[in-house]
Amino acid sequence: MSNIESLIYFIPEWVLIAMMLVLIVVDIAAKKSRDLAAPVVAMAAFVLFFIANLVTLLFSPTSLFEGMITFDFMGIFFKGLVAVVAMLVVVLSYKSNDLKNVDRPTYYLLLIAAVLGMDLLIVSKNLLMIYLALEMVSIPSYLLSGSMRGDKKSSEAALKYVIYGGVASGVMVYGMSWIYGITGELGLFDVYIFLTSNPVNNVAIFIALLFTIAGFLFKVASVPFHMWCPDVYEGSPTPITAFLSVGPKAAGFAILIRFLTSGFMAAGENGWEVVGGVTWPALIAILSAATMTWGNFAALRQENLKRLLAYSSIAHAGYILMGLAAFSPRALSAVFFYLVIYVAMNIGAFLVVIMMANQTGSFMLESFRGLGRRGTYGAALAVAMTVFLFSLTGMPPLAGFAGKFYLFSAVMESKLYWLALVGVLNSVVSLYYYARVVKTMFLDEAEAGEPVAKPFMGHSVVVAVLAALIVYLGIFWNQLVYLTSDSVQMIR
Amino acid sequence: MGEYVNIILLFVFGAVISGGFIVISYLLGPSNKSAAKGMPYECGVDPVGEPRRQFTVKFCLVAMIFIVFDIEVVFLYPWAVLFKEFKEIGMGVFAFIEMMVFVGILAVGLLYVYGRRAIDWE
Repeated sequence: MSNIESLIYFIPEWVLIAMMLVLIVVDIAAKKSRDLAAPVVAMAAFVLFFIANLVTLLFSPTSLFEGMITFDFMGIFFKGLVAVVAMLVVVLSYKSNDLKNVDRPTYYLLLIAAVLGMDLLIVSKNLLMIYLALEMVSIPSYLLSGSMRGDKKSSEAALKYVIYGGVASGVMVYGMSWIYGITGELGLFDVYIFLTSNPVNNVAIFIALLFTIAGFLFKVASVPFHMWCPDVYEGSPTPITAFLSVGPKAAGFAILIRFLTSGFMAAGENGWEVVGGVTWPALIAILSAATMTWGNFAALRQENLKRLLAYSSIAHAGYILMGLAAFSPRALSAVFFYLVIYVAMNIGAFLVVIMMANQTGSFMLESFRGLGRRGTYGAALAVAMTVFLFSLTGMPPLAGFAGKFYLFSAVMESKLYWLALVGVLNSVVSLYYYARVVKTMFLDEAEAGEPVAKPFMGHSVVVAVLAALIVYLGIFWNQLVYLTSDSVQMIR
Repeated sequence: MGEYVNIILLFVFGAVISGGFIVISYLLGPSNKSAAKGMPYECGVDPVGEPRRQFTVKFCLVAMIFIVFDIEVVFLYPWAVLFKEFKEIGMGVFAFIEMMVFVGILAVGLLYVYGRRAIDWE
């Protein structure tokens, strides 16, 4: 579809761009109420973006902007997910001690820019567009992770993120140049057509694929591109850690799925087949096993909750990659389902960490001791944290169990029994470090036993809603499964 | 390849001649160093002040902002050249509005830079 006709499909993005301009004007115009006006504008931006996204459901799937961007249900689904993540991050950032000295309008401006980048990344189908959108997500993320100026850990996190991200982008573009050199095409569908009709050197295309997905795997924090993750998550302000652990990860998975299934997969009658002789499902399976194992074992000794949750998010990236390795439409729908639940669990866990850090000023496990006995709010926080942590492990009747059940069943259907075994063993290992937090909260004596003060109302509401959602989705997961199965339809 | 030999020869000759000057003057010229001859040249008077001061960051800031608006100008050039043809096929209004939107977004950016005092020199 030509450029002019595509503009009408781009309404959600217009909304984000317009609200960015509004936020810039607010930044220079409102001198006194900047700290209040900026989150309001950001929240309005994301709510309007979500609504505009639902409005675009009226259109039928097509290819936009002369083959640069697709418009399909998968894109709408992921955009909705990203909008919800952004709304939650605005609430998390509103009253977080980490962001005390941070310039609010700039912070929210960068957040909106990152969300716009994720939005474009989710729907890109041209190699150049993928690169542009990936940079558009990464650069505000680098700045956001270093927002706490003067804080050494934050600056260290930003520097590590920048350097690692720059190298990963460079490797990715090198891989893209190989793909272009081999096939002569930049669009993913055109690459697929070329690979199905011309013989290519298998080794060359495999190397090109490897280099290109290095960029996506970096964003997703999977082994072997995961080393930035713990330090960046630990040094960033906690709302940004929560954002990084779900937002760019979801967008990174979306583009990884799109890249591999649009460019290198043929949908035959007997299920899916690889194209170009590149057995990338086997590669993804090995990376998934390595990621799960490394993430879970490295988390065993962590005392800092932010680092623990960082390693746990690496491990969860491994579980999600397992779904991608299973290589079937059901596996993809399981991946989408798991991503929704993962957003709820992870943001909930980080929110409890933020609420506790607001009170105690520390992220260490020590400060959680005896939380179950520290007043009503302490008990409520402890219960919510237990729900989130056990859901992350995958215990029934919580939503995490439903997610893992679907992922494992898809993997078993694809006859990757060894991968399912590795996944199950890793879930068992993860129980240790999640349960250790629960044990500290309920069974340890608190040395300073003062009751937890009343937290910010918005935070309490969000924690309650997320915990209730996890319990609900653990029992009534059908609606979400229908939604994610429908969303697997993507067009090339 | 034949056309490029001339250019390579030009480079080679330039390097040989200028390098030759330096080498021959080093080998054949006298070398009488003294303290007064070794001082940095400041228009003939004694040097004043320290040789290295901290680089003011406002140069970097102005350079960054210049780059952004320079790229905007680079986008304006082809549009300006082709605008007449757009008008002839009846897309004149659309092309104009599109460029005004582009310039407008960057103008908001300029307002931001001005309001946050990033281009104030003092």
